[in-house]
Amino acid sequence: MERQHSSLHGSFRSKDSSSTTGSDPREKIKDCLRKFIAFMFTQVGVGALVVCYAILGAASFMHIEKDSPDEQLENVKQWRRSCAEELWNITVNNNIFNETAWEININKVLKVYQSNITGAVHTGYNGRSAEDIWSFPAALMYSLSVFTMIGYGNIVPKTVWGKIVTIAYACFGIPIYILYFCNMGKVLAQTFKWLYITAHECSRREDTMFEEGEIQQIKRKITVPSTACLWVISFYILTGTIMFGAWEKWNYLDSTYFCVISLCKIGFGDFVPGANITDSAGGSHLKLVINFIYVLLGMGLVAMCYNLMCEDVRVKVRELREDLKNCLDDITLKITVCMNDTKYYHQKQTRHIK
Amino acid sequence: MPRRRRRLASRIRNYVRNLLAFLFSNIGLIVLVVGYTVAGAFMFQAIEGASEIERVNNMTLERNNTAQYLWQNVTLALNLFNETALKYRLNIELSKYQSKIVTAVRNGWDGGRSSRQWSFSSAFLYSLTVITSIGYGHLSPRTSWGKVMTIFYALLGMPLFLLYVTNVGQLLARWFKCLYALVCLCRGCPGFGRRRVVRLRTQLETSEAESIECPEGWRHRVSESDVTPDYRIPPYAIYHQRRLDIRRLPHPLDPRYPHDRGWSEPAYRVESEASDFSYVTFDAQTITVPISVCVAVMVGYIMFGSMIFGLWEKWDQLDGAYFCFISLSSIGFGDFVPGERVYTPRIETSFIVCSLYLMLGIALGAMCFNLMQEQVIHYFAGLKRALKRICRCKR
Repeated sequence: MERQHSSLHGSFRSKDSSSTTGSDPREKIKDCLRKFIAFMFTQVGVGALVVCYAILGAASFMHIEKDSPDEQLENVKQWRRSCAEELWNITVNNNIFNETAWEININKVLKVYQSNITGAVHTGYNGRSAEDIWSFPAALMYSLSVFTMIGYGNIVPKTVWGKIVTIAYACFGIPIYILYFCNMGKVLAQTFKWLYITAHECSRREDTMFEEGEIQQIKRKITVPSTACLWVISFYILTGTIMFGAWEKWNYLDSTYFCVISLCKIGFGDFVPGANITDSAGGSHLKLVINFIYVLLGMGLVAMCYNLMCEDVRVKVRELREDLKNCLDDITLKITVCMNDTKYYHQKQTRHIK
Repeated sequence: MPRRRRRLASRIRNYVRNLLAFLFSNIGLIVLVVGYTVAGAFMFQAIEGASEIERVNNMTLERNNTAQYLWQNVTLALNLFNETALKYRLNIELSKYQSKIVTAVRNGWDGGRSSRQWSFSSAFLYSLTVITSIGYGHLSPRTSWGKVMTIFYALLGMPLFLLYVTNVGQLLARWFKCLYALVCLCRGCPGFGRRRVVRLRTQLETSEAESIECPEGWRHRVSESDVTPDYRIPPYAIYHQRRLDIRRLPHPLDPRYPHDRGWSEPAYRVESEASDFSYVTFDAQTITVPISVCVAVMVGYIMFGSMIFGLWEKWDQLDGAYFCFISLSSIGFGDFVPGERVYTPRIETSFIVCSLYLMLGIALGAMCFNLMQEQVIHYFAGLKRALKRICRCKR
């Protein structure tokens, strides 16, 4: 507390008289510290923080979950063995040459086996050991899906400690992510707005050269229309669609669906990029990392569009309200004129004069 | 006559405005969200229910095929009296069959249970998970129409739900403040208001002792507080509005301590006019609820949920709490979903209970977020003021 006070106090003093105090080494150190902290709260710093946090989480989750003994794998093996045993028994005991009776029995056994397997799949069995599942890129995707609140759910912690750490990780990660979201949104919105306005000016320069005074001022107040934001987002989704469609051999509907579900933070987890790739662990790392970047950047873009559209909607609502007010005034005036009320007629007259 | 007409027009306008306000008010929004979810449930049930039956039939066909294959290729072809070879072969075939089952389940097959997957209540939970962006993924659309409709449903539903969350969160925050003021400030800990006053008074005295230009600083602070929307200031503003009321009170207020007076007033009024509810509620909006209380409320809600789901689904405490946390933070892995493991006739109600729990829980989370935000803003404002004063003193 005291330290914070002193540093803030220092900031106040140096802000007022930065030119006079430059030689003091303590002040210099404080300046450096302050700059560092300020940098940490800018977009680059927050982005780095998010990435570092994700990598840290990936390492810790990998460490926790990798050694977990997988009973389910053993269980499934056991079931298969016993099922084969039963099939053998049926073959030995029954009359072999009665095909229908044999098939009925076999069907019964298979049904039991099937329901066992479905139960196992529902509780998270997918035929792979923990060692295969928790590779580093997969763990990275997992920690991303935790703190961005997507929650694909294709990989889930099985151990007690994994669950507890997930809760704690989310508690700290979600605020960091929201910081990133706000920061990134603001910065991207500003740059996009600047780009839009410069493009706008460039395209209109010839027409408005001779009447600069008024139109330049109007142009300064231009807000980016929400259609532009929607174009940006749909272009981004299209890029993702083509990219994932080529890599994962999904059809275009599926990959569009995946992109929208991811960017909306719903994250059903029925389509996940890592799920196919980890079978052949060769080129998966780069793809998963690119997927990671795609999702993070996409979140920033969504935040940008949210910012811009909020502004746009606010302006539009204000205009609409003014229009509505004018309209209502007109209507009331017309009604009063129809009713031949002299008092209101006079008012209208005066308004016309105004 | 014209005046009446005008009144009529204004009345109609008022009605329309009231209707709109009601639609965007809390109850209207709740009705809207529930209606939207129910509509989505019907839609997805209609779209996905048809393909589900087909899938079940497919799986039965697959099982029959496997039995047929076993009969023809294994039992007939191999030597029947060589047990190990036969078992080895059976094992291979079974593992093939197993991988088929796994892919089928991954593609949304239910395992041949009697209950239909896209029943109304589960479709309701599904559409709720879409618009709240939880996305458990225990159910996901398999048909292409289902996917397209899910995309549009999410695009329309998420802003609606956001509206619901902010609105209901604000409402709950207001109620919670009233409750907190009634319970904690009047009865639970009667010295609460006074304690703050005492703290402020000591602060004041120390600053007075240190600072040279105290009165000016004070005046500056008061004027600043009138301009900036500080959450602690309204009692003082009320003082201006209701000066007549206060004049009746026997306690003459010292003009030299404007801030202090603004402070002691609510507590004083609560004590003297506890019967007048409006005063209490009005004052309640000006207090801030400490962060620890918000956190305690959220933890209590999660514990409550873990208890309920623990009883209902036979999860242990940790799993229940994990499920509640993952759901309420809208992560939604979907490894624990109510009605997944225990197939009972109560499954329909368990889906509905889960939906209600989620809707209330997310609103509660928004409430806590609101309250915490207020508290943090207040802390920062206080810190800023203190810093400013310190700076001024040193000069």
